[in-house]
Formats: sequence, structure tokens, C-alpha cells
Amino acid sequence: MRKELPLLVTILTGLFVIFGHDFAIGEKWQLINSMDKWQSISQAVALLIGAINLTRIHVNHVRRRKAGYIFSLLLLVCMWGYTVLGVIDGYKGVTFRWVYNALLASLDSTIFSLLAFYIASAAYRAFRVRTVEASLLLVSAAIVMLGRAPIGEAIWKGFPDWANWIMRFPNTAAMRAVLIGAYLGSFVTVLRILLGIERAHLGGVGGAGMK
Amino acid sequence: MALWTKGMVVDFWFVVALGVVTYVLITRARAGMKIPEIRKIAGLEALEESIGRATEMGRPVHATPGLGGISDPETFAFFNTLGYIAQLCAKYDCRLINTNRNYLVHSVNEEIIKQAYLEAGRPDAYNGDDVRYLSGFQFGYTAAILGIFAREKPAASIMIGYFYAESLILAEAGAQIGAIQIAGTTSTAQLPFFVAACDYTLIGEEIYAASAYISKNPVLLGTVVGEDWFKILVFLTIVVGTVVTNIIADPKKNPLTNFIMK
Repeated sequence: MRKELPLLVTILTGLFVIFGHDFAIGEKWQLINSMDKWQSISQAVALLIGAINLTRIHVNHVRRRKAGYIFSLLLLVCMWGYTVLGVIDGYKGVTFRWVYNALLASLDSTIFSLLAFYIASAAYRAFRVRTVEASLLLVSAAIVMLGRAPIGEAIWKGFPDWANWIMRFPNTAAMRAVLIGAYLGSFVTVLRILLGIERAHLGGVGGAGMK
Repeated sequence: MALWTKGMVVDFWFVVALGVVTYVLITRARAGMKIPEIRKIAGLEALEESIGRATEMGRPVHATPGLGGISDPETFAFFNTLGYIAQLCAKYDCRLINTNRNYLVHSVNEEIIKQAYLEAGRPDAYNGDDVRYLSGFQFGYTAAILGIFAREKPAASIMIGYFYAESLILAEAGAQIGAIQIAGTTSTAQLPFFVAACDYTLIGEEIYAASAYISKNPVLLGTVVGEDWFKILVFLTIVVGTVVTNIIADPKKNPLTNFIMK
């Protein structure tokens, strides 16, 4: 029953979603909306369980003075401190917002800005002219970059048109081919799950282990 | 009252047709009839090699599903690969570090890895502390992985799932520590980054073929072949659509558009 019951729930939920989406009566009864509500409730319960579990684990770390327990303490102070602040100040409160904007948003932006440096090193590796494909990539990337930057137009007026052509035709065609394949792939994966052939999400090696 | 939701008739019958074709191919496979082979996928072939290399170097393997949630098909593609990765790690006695951004995905991964170690006959080797929930914040999760890369220096990094801007940060950080990197995503905006920075990239649909490809199970292979048949159908629809659109300029009078939007 440990595997059969979740499998049954998966199949019934899948059929429920198809019915809710594709049939007029499903739309009339707002089946998908009610499902979204159930999902929100389940997620809220899961979040609560997660918070309790996290507290239990890290309180134990602190109590037993495990290696790095100071980080556990920091986590507990931040998690419950911010929760309490949110309850007192409200989610639109000035202090609550300030903590978010001054700390979390800044930290987020810092990590995001690393991307600029990594793009440079990745571009260097990708654009080394070693094969015909790499040469094509280098030439097309140079045209697109020059076409999108003001200096390109200053050098030659044709660069923006060439860049737009590359982005609109070869690039879009390749991207759409990948997307169509990905949609069909996800479709078939969902079918495999609905038919009970793919069971990896229930634990273990699932379909990949079948010989 | 109409039976169907507007615009969903073709959608429904498409699902039914794909289901029927998949069922027929599964039945054929079960009856021992021949199923066409699927092409070689280098990224999936390299999974065992990368784990073997990590074992020889005495360094861990890192695997992450990216930012996708529990309802994303890309995450399910990761689930299908994770069991195999965990079983190989258990077999070779190699440490597996799994990092997560979504708490529900984390729970499922924990169960998959635990079960894979059990199936490999190595339940003692499973370490719950190596299945880690990092942060719900995109860059909190990214920063935590960068920290793991710097401290624990995994010899292989497997990133299969849905990725956003963190893809290149993770791939470049992995390249800098000399890890073999196998990445796969359906996100067309992130694919170029993975191609540039990783050793192997699974492009789009390839991530969904993982379990069939790894197991060589005819039943699962049959579903991949069914997918390919439908790809031909979609291709033919595009060709016919292009011709019809060039003949009938008005989209309201286009019979193909009207049929699909029915």
C-alpha cells in the first residue's frame, strides 16, 4: 500500500485536472480553482511542519553544542525573529520592509551581480575558435552584440538589422524546436506517471531501475 | 451547454491519442515485439563515468534539481535520474550531496535517495545530512551551493531541472573547481550558458528520456518512441500551417487555426 496509494492519488488527481481543464462542466464547477485552494492549504501545512522540524533540529544542535552550532542559533534567531516582527509590524510594516530591502534584497543583488563576471569567463571559453561551430557562434554573437549596442550602429548601420534577423529567424527556429520537444517530453513523462510506469517520485530508482 | 471548454477539444484528443499510441507501444514492448532504438545521449552515458571519477578522486558528487517546484515536469525528470545517481553512488561508496531550493522537492529527494541506498544494499551509507534544503530564495540557494563547491569540492556536478539566472553562476563555479558537469534543462534562455560552461548538456526533451535511456527498458523506450511519432505529427502540422497561412492571410478564415482553437 505504501506505493499503491500514492500512485492511485496521482492518477486520480491527473484525471481530475484533465476533467477540470478540458470539460465545460469542470470549468463551471471551478474544479481547478478548488484544487489550487487545496494545494495552498497543503503547502501551508507543509510549511508549518517544516518550520517546526527545522526548529527541533537546530535546537538540538545548539543544546548539544555540535560543530557550527552558532549558525543554528543564528538561523533560529533570524527565522523566529523575522516571523515575530512580521506578526507585530505586519507584512507592510516599515521595519519589516526595511529588513527585507536592506538585508535580503542587497544580498540577492550581490550574488546576482556575480553573473557579469561569470558571463565573461564563460564567453571566453565558448568563443575560442577551435571548430567550425565555435567560429559560427563567435561570428553570430559578435554581430548580435554589435547590433544591440549603440557602438555597432555607429560603426555600420546594417548591424542592428543583421542582429534582428539572427534573433528572429535562426535563433527563434532553434528555440522553438527545443521547446516543442520539451513540451512533448513533459507530456509523455506526465503520461508515464499517470499510467504508473514512472514511479521514481515514490522513492528509489523508479523506472530507471527497471531492467 | 457545450461538452468541452473552449479551445480544449483538440488539446483533449491530443492527450487521448498520445495516451493510446503510448499504450500500444507499451503493449508491443511487453509482448516482446521490436521497438525502434533511440539515439545515443552523451550526457546520460557520462553519468556513470563522472561518478566513477569522483569515487577515484575521493570527492563527493553534487546533484541539484534547480529552482523547479514539485509540479514542474523538469523536477520529475530530475527525480527519474536521481534514483540512478544515488544507486551508483551507493554502489561505488561515493558521497552524494543533494541540494534543494524547494521544501517539497527536498522531501521527495530525501525519500528517493534513502530508497536507492536501500535497494543497492547500502542503507548504512545513506547520510541524511547530505540531502540539504538550502533556501527558498533563488540567490540564497545559489550562494549556499557556491559555498558547498568551495568547501567540499565535488568532483561531479549534475544539474537537471528548471534553472533561471543561477545556471551560469553554478556552472562556472563548478568549472572552476574542476568538476565534471552534466546539466540539463528545458529553459531555452539558460541552455546556452550550460552549453558554454558544462562538459555535457542535455537539451530540452533529452532530460525526459533519462529513465528510459538508462534502464533500456522496452516499456519505457516505447513511450519515448511514441513521443517521437508525435514530434513528426507536430512537424507536419507546422509545414501544413505555414502553407495554409501563406494562402489564407486572414487568421479567422484559416481552417487549421479554427480547428486547433476549437
